[in-house]
Amino acid sequence: MNAPVNASTDSPVAEIENLRVEIDGWPLVDGVCLRVFPGRVTALVGASGSGKTTTGLALLGEHPPGARVSGDVRVSGGGPIGYVPQHPAAVLNPARRVGALLHDIARQQVRDLPRAVRRTEARTRVLRSLADAQLSAGETLLHRYPHQLSGGQQQRVVLAQALLLGARVVVADEPTTGQDALTKSRIVDELTAVAAQGIAVVLLSHDLDVVRALADEVLVMYEGRVVESGPTERVWRAPRHVWTRELLARQTEFGNRDGNDGDSDDRTGVPVLHVRDLTARHHRTQVLRVPELGLHAGECLAVVGRSGSGKTTLARCLAGLHRDHDGQVTLDGNVLPRSLRARDRRQLAAVQYVFQDARAAFDEYRPVVDQVARTAVRLRGAEAADAGAEALAALLELGLTEEQAHRLPGRLSGGELQRAALARALLARPRVLICDEITSGLDTVTRRGLLEVLAGLRRGRDDLSVVLITHDLDIASLADRIAVLDAGEMVEQGSVARVLTEPSHPFTKRLLAAAG
Amino acid sequence: MSGLRSFVVRRLLLGGAQTVAVVLLVFALTEALPGDAAVALAGDQPDPARIAAIREAMHLDRPAHERLLGWAAGLAHGDFGTSLTSGRPVTTYIEDGFGPTLLLATTTVTLLIPLGVGLGVLAARHEGRLVDRLVSSVTLGVYAVPEFALGVLLVTVFALRLGWLPPTAVGYGTDLLGHPAALVLPVLVLLSRPVCSLSRLVRAGMVDALNSPYVAQARRYGIPGARVRYGHALPNAVAPAAQQLARTVDWLLCGVIVVEALFVIPGLGTVLMNAVAERDVPVVQGLAVVFGVLTVVLNLGADLVAHRFAPRAGVAA
Repeated sequence: MNAPVNASTDSPVAEIENLRVEIDGWPLVDGVCLRVFPGRVTALVGASGSGKTTTGLALLGEHPPGARVSGDVRVSGGGPIGYVPQHPAAVLNPARRVGALLHDIARQQVRDLPRAVRRTEARTRVLRSLADAQLSAGETLLHRYPHQLSGGQQQRVVLAQALLLGARVVVADEPTTGQDALTKSRIVDELTAVAAQGIAVVLLSHDLDVVRALADEVLVMYEGRVVESGPTERVWRAPRHVWTRELLARQTEFGNRDGNDGDSDDRTGVPVLHVRDLTARHHRTQVLRVPELGLHAGECLAVVGRSGSGKTTLARCLAGLHRDHDGQVTLDGNVLPRSLRARDRRQLAAVQYVFQDARAAFDEYRPVVDQVARTAVRLRGAEAADAGAEALAALLELGLTEEQAHRLPGRLSGGELQRAALARALLARPRVLICDEITSGLDTVTRRGLLEVLAGLRRGRDDLSVVLITHDLDIASLADRIAVLDAGEMVEQGSVARVLTEPSHPFTKRLLAAAG
Repeated sequence: MSGLRSFVVRRLLLGGAQTVAVVLLVFALTEALPGDAAVALAGDQPDPARIAAIREAMHLDRPAHERLLGWAAGLAHGDFGTSLTSGRPVTTYIEDGFGPTLLLATTTVTLLIPLGVGLGVLAARHEGRLVDRLVSSVTLGVYAVPEFALGVLLVTVFALRLGWLPPTAVGYGTDLLGHPAALVLPVLVLLSRPVCSLSRLVRAGMVDALNSPYVAQARRYGIPGARVRYGHALPNAVAPAAQQLARTVDWLLCGVIVVEALFVIPGLGTVLMNAVAERDVPVVQGLAVVFGVLTVVLNLGADLVAHRFAPRAGVAA
C-alpha cells in the first residue's frame, strides 16, 4: 500500500517475454510479450478463448494443469500480485464468512506488532481495504457468507483482498462483466484510483467501453497471439489489424442498434402475471417493495437496477423460489402459492426461470438433451421418447447441432449452455419466461447471438411473456417495458421509449447518464 | 433464521412420528415371534397349565392392543413400565446399561475424531502419492473386516497369546472405568470401521477443497500452509463428515450388540439381547423409544452442523 510510486515508466514492475503455454501440443498462447508499469493500466482485449486469462494467470506464476510453458515471467522485487477473477464467488470460501481470508491476510501483516495492538490493527486494515474497494457497510458484510452477497459485492471483497495484500500488480479478469452501468463507472473509478497509488493494473476484458475509459495501453489478442498493441487512443483511432477493426465495429453496431416500436406504455386487459403489494425479506430485513407490476401476454418486461437492488429477489418471488414475502402474485387472475412446493404442475410449468450461471444449472454427468427433455416429462407428463424428440427439436431451433445436444454440459461453451437452458425452460410451454442476467459473463459476439435467439423466440410465440432481469440498459432496450429498481424500491416503470428518453426518477437519470 | 427454526420444528415433529412408528413396529415384531415371556419363564419343561397360569398373572392373556395402550398411557407420564421377567422398572435396566455404553461411546468418539480427521487430511495432502495410497488401502482393508472377526483376532493375539490385556470384562460389572485395561480391545474394535469411513470422507472433501479456487487464492496471498488446510479447506469437509459421525455415534449409543456380546460388557446391547430372549416386551419397547429419540436428535444435530458449514445448500427438509 505504501509502495513508492515509481515515476520512471522505463522499468516495468512485471514483464512477460515470449510466453508459450501449450496443452497436448495445442498452444493456448504463443509468443506473448507484455510489460506492465507502475501506475499504468494495461488491457488485454479479445473474445473469450483468445488467451487473455492464460496470460493474466502466467503473471501470477500459475498455469493450467498439464501445461508446457516456455518463455520468461519476471516480477521485479518479487512482490505479491493481486488477482480478481471473472467469477469472484469462486475464490470466496463457501463454508467461511467473507471476512475469513481478509483477517488471515491482515494477521500475517501485523505479526511483528506488540500482541496488545495486533487485533485492532488487523481489524483497522481490513476495514480500510474494504473502504478502498468502495464497499459500504463493510463491517456488516464481513459476517456474511459469500452466497449472501450480490455479485458486485463479492467482487469488491475480492478486490479488497488484493488491496489489503499491498499488491504492486493487480490482475483484474473481466471486472465489469455482470455489473450495471453505475457500478461499471465506479469500478472504472476504483481501478483508476488503484493505478493512481502506483499499482500496475492488468485488465483482461471484452468490455471495450471500459477498456477505452481505463487503459493506457492495449494489447489485442486473437487465438493466443497478440495481434496488435499500442496506446489506447491510437488503437481506437487507427486500428491496424483486421481483427481489431472487427472487434471495434461489432461494439459500435451493438451500441447503436435501435428499432423498437415502443408504443406499448398503456396496455389494457388482464395481465398474465400481476404483482400487488409485494414486500420481500431476507431474514428480518426488508429487501424489496413492489406496490404493483403487471405483465401482459406477449410482452417483454425488463427489470433494471444495480447489483443488490432486488432484481433477482423479485424474479425469485415470481418463480416461487423466495417464499419469505407478503403480497400477491397472480397468474391469469389466480393467486400463485408463495413457495414452489405448494404450486401444482401447471403453475410450475407456467413460470419458468433461466439462471445467470448456466453451467451450475445443469447436471454435469448427463447429456444436455436428456436434461432438457426431463422438463416435458416432469411438468407436462410427456412420454420419454416424445420428450426426447421435442428437446432435440428445441435445441436445434435455438442453434445447437444434434451432436452438441448429445454432449455433456462440460463440453459446451457458456453461450451454448445458456441456449440449452432456454430450450429446457421452453419445453415446459411456459406463459412467463424469467431470464435472470442470462447474457452477463458472455463476450460481445456470443451475447448478441443469444439476444437474437431470444428475440426470435418471442416472434415465434405470441403469448410468451418475458421478464428480462438485467443491469445492462442496452439489453433492457430490447424489451417493451422497463421497471427500474433502486435499493429494493421500484422507482419507475413505463415503456422503453419513455423511460430511456425521458426518465422521471432521478435514479433512472443517473443510471442513463452512467451508461451513456 | 425463521427458516431454520421452522426446519427444526418440522424435523422434531417428524422425528416424534418416526419414534412412534419404530415402537409400533418393534411391538408388532415381538408379538410375531414364537413364544412369549411366560414360555421363557416356564423354562425347560414347559407345562401348558403352568404357562397359562403365568400368562394370567402377567396379564399376557389380554389382547395385544390393550397391552400396548396400557404401556403407552404410562409412557405419557414418563413411566416406561416394569419388566415382565423381574418386575423391576424398565428405567433401571436402561440406566444400568447406559453407563457402560456411554463410556465406550465417549472413549471411542474422543479417539475417533482426531484419528479420522488426521488420517483424512494426511491422505489428502499427499493425494495420489505413497502416503495417500497407503492410508487409503489400509483403511479400505480394515473397513472390510467385520467387527466380530477383528474382535476374535485381537482377543486371540493380545489376550490369549500375549496375555497383555483381559480378554473380556467378565467380573467387572458396570464399573468399567475402574478397569481401563478391559476397555482397550473393545474400543479398538469399535474404532476400526468408523475411523476408516470418516477418514475417507474427510479425504474426499479435503481433496476437493485443496484443489478449489478459494484455496488457490489463500495460497496465492501467502497464508501459511497449516492455516490454509485447517482454516480454509477443512471446513468444507466438515459437512459430510458430520453426517457420518452422527450415524457412528448413533450406532455406538444404541448398543453395539456384537462387541458387547464378544467382550461381555453389560451395556444397552446386552440388555436388549436378554430382553428379546426373554420376550420382555416392555424393556424392548423402552429401549426402542430411547434409541428412536437418540437417532432423531443426533441426525438433527448433524444437519445443523452441515447447515453451518455448507450454508449455501440451505436447509433441506
